[in-house]
Amino acid sequence: MEGLFFNVNNGYIEGIVRGYRNGLLTGQNYSNLTQCETIDDLKLQLGPAYGDFLASLPPSPSTSTLAARTTDKLISEFRYVRANAVGSLAKFMDYLTYGYMIDNVALLITGTLHERDTRELLERCHPLGWFETMPVLCVATNIEELYNSVLIETPLAPYFKGSLSHQDLDELNIEIVRNTLYKNYLEDFHSFVNTDSEMAGTPTAEVMTEILEFEADRRAINITLNSFGTELSKADRKKLYPNFGRLYPEGSYMLSRADDIEGVRLAVDGISDYKSYFEATGMGQSSSGAGNMSGGAGSDGKSLEDMFYQKEMEISKNAFTRQFTFAIVYAWVKLREQEIRNITWIAECIAQNQKERIGNYISVF
Amino acid sequence: MSGTGNREAVFPTRQSLGLMKAKLKGAQTGHDLLKRKSEALTKRFREITRRIDEAKRKMGRVMQIAAFSLAEVTYAVGGDIGYQVQESAKSARFRVRTKQENVSGVFLPAFESYITEGNNDFGLTGLGKGGQQVQRCRETYARAVETLVELASLQTAFVILDEVIKVVNRRVNAIEHVIIPRTENTIKYINSELDELDREEFFRLKKVQKKKQRDTAAQDAEMRLKKEAKAKADSDKENDEAGQPDILGDQEDQDVIF
Amino acid sequence: MAAPTSAYKDRQFLAVIGDEDSVTGLLLAGIGHVTQPPDSQKNFLVVDSKTDNAAIEEAFERFTTERKDIGILLINQHIAERIRHRVDTYTTAFPALLEIPSKDHPYDPEKDSVLRRVRRLFGE
Repeated sequence: MEGLFFNVNNGYIEGIVRGYRNGLLTGQNYSNLTQCETIDDLKLQLGPAYGDFLASLPPSPSTSTLAARTTDKLISEFRYVRANAVGSLAKFMDYLTYGYMIDNVALLITGTLHERDTRELLERCHPLGWFETMPVLCVATNIEELYNSVLIETPLAPYFKGSLSHQDLDELNIEIVRNTLYKNYLEDFHSFVNTDSEMAGTPTAEVMTEILEFEADRRAINITLNSFGTELSKADRKKLYPNFGRLYPEGSYMLSRADDIEGVRLAVDGISDYKSYFEATGMGQSSSGAGNMSGGAGSDGKSLEDMFYQKEMEISKNAFTRQFTFAIVYAWVKLREQEIRNITWIAECIAQNQKERIGNYISVF
Repeated sequence: MSGTGNREAVFPTRQSLGLMKAKLKGAQTGHDLLKRKSEALTKRFREITRRIDEAKRKMGRVMQIAAFSLAEVTYAVGGDIGYQVQESAKSARFRVRTKQENVSGVFLPAFESYITEGNNDFGLTGLGKGGQQVQRCRETYARAVETLVELASLQTAFVILDEVIKVVNRRVNAIEHVIIPRTENTIKYINSELDELDREEFFRLKKVQKKKQRDTAAQDAEMRLKKEAKAKADSDKENDEAGQPDILGDQEDQDVIF
Repeated sequence: MAAPTSAYKDRQFLAVIGDEDSVTGLLLAGIGHVTQPPDSQKNFLVVDSKTDNAAIEEAFERFTTERKDIGILLINQHIAERIRHRVDTYTTAFPALLEIPSKDHPYDPEKDSVLRRVRRLFGE
């Protein structure tokens, strides 16, 4: 049923995005990339996919400029799609950008707290999270002004309201602020895809729920693991867990009480996917603390983060097996982001002569 | 005499000769000691230099590994954490203290790193994503900084030793090429001056002696003449006035004095 | 002959002048320190292509002569290149000046001011 009118508004976009997806680098491309001896070779290999964007680079560009250029391509494609989107899809794509917006606002808050010139911060903001009124935020000179302008000028206002006051911005660690916002954002996004009249009950809701639940679980697990040995209390930690996801509510509750990796492992025991990750990374057997799961730099073992990325990519890849869904836009952005990370990683390995770990990228095609 | 300009301004007396001899002896002892010190320091210096060379190479590798772990962080976090890290830095966790080591009387400071407990500016960095990589990166970098601190100690030792060795060598050279020759010159000068004085004295004595001999000879001759004249006069007028013998007696007294 | 104790007993911090990645990494290791307000002074300087040499020199001056609490100054070699005349004429023992490699510029022993002195001394 949902397919009946989908193409009226969104057929073009779906076609474009599927086309973009076919433009993603494949395993064959990646293995060619890893054979490169210099960054220039790499640039040459990337030619077919990124030609125009890399053309202006000087010889032997640094990995960061390479990453910036490849991101530029994603941005321009995203903007094109966004410009053609209408109705719920447009809203959906806006939601997609909120995640980046949160990072940008967090950056601006940091800058304002330290009385830095916020104008130079704008350059560091992620272009996907760029919103028109962002320069307005730079006018704010103290944290209260900033807080008020964020409330008025940005779509993020609902995420601030109710959970953060302007004093909180001053007192709380910026990471806590960021993660609180992100939690609110995920919950909002989740309810959006499940309640919007155009999306509820469609494959979009189905796929997006899977993706967002995974994202929520991933954040909950990461936050728990990373908070060991820091000043973040268990009660505060609990506030950062999104209130949905496969772990919610029992798993989240157990996570909130976990004291060590073993506790986290127990909490995720009910979900076979996560359980297998913990087993694969060898976590839980040795509970000597976070950070040793892959035995320090130099080992080829995959870390939990890698596993999560892998999983995210698989979900994203599978999203393309569905038709008549907005989720492919989300999936495409994530796949493309991973591709940029992969390219950066490979470039980094080549630039720093660390070839033995060059295969650590994640490729799903 | 040679080296007139290169000697100390002393009066050529026996006392100053004694002083100079003591000084020369002192200078030679000092020279030996300093020379030995300089050798000890140079030995140490060469060792440090070798270790610096090694450490610098090691640093190249260590820093590369560290930079790579930062790349891992960028990969895991999926973005740039640089700015955030710069802004959240508040209080140094990693500090150094200096201690001293005594090498042949030279105090070489050495840095020692220590971690202050309790303050962790970056504990929450990467909380949502990539935190484990951040922690690992911190450890890698902390190890790298330890290497750097070690290298800094060596380098400070190098700079200070370099300075000290220069000073010591300057002293050795000064003693060897200036003070000792000068003292020797002075001694030579004093000796020659004293010899000169000796010779003058001798000559003067000789002269006086000669003069005396000449005088004596003249008087002898005169006396002989007088005696002859007297004998003649005695024989001429045997019974003359009695004033004559008194005068003769006086003259005989004077003779005795000579 | 040794430097008087006062010359280094308060020197407990490291300072760094470097590109963004080097500074980030070193800060992660925990060397970052910002002094108490009002004159919050940082012990690090991020240099990018927009930073002019005068600013680098000023930071170099500040870390080497003005501040008495810095024991070791780390500087990226390619940045040291930009103010080479200053680095080469710097011979004081405290703070110790250390040229470090950066991600994009591997270490070149030929350029290091100290190693060059070593070479000169041994006539290599």
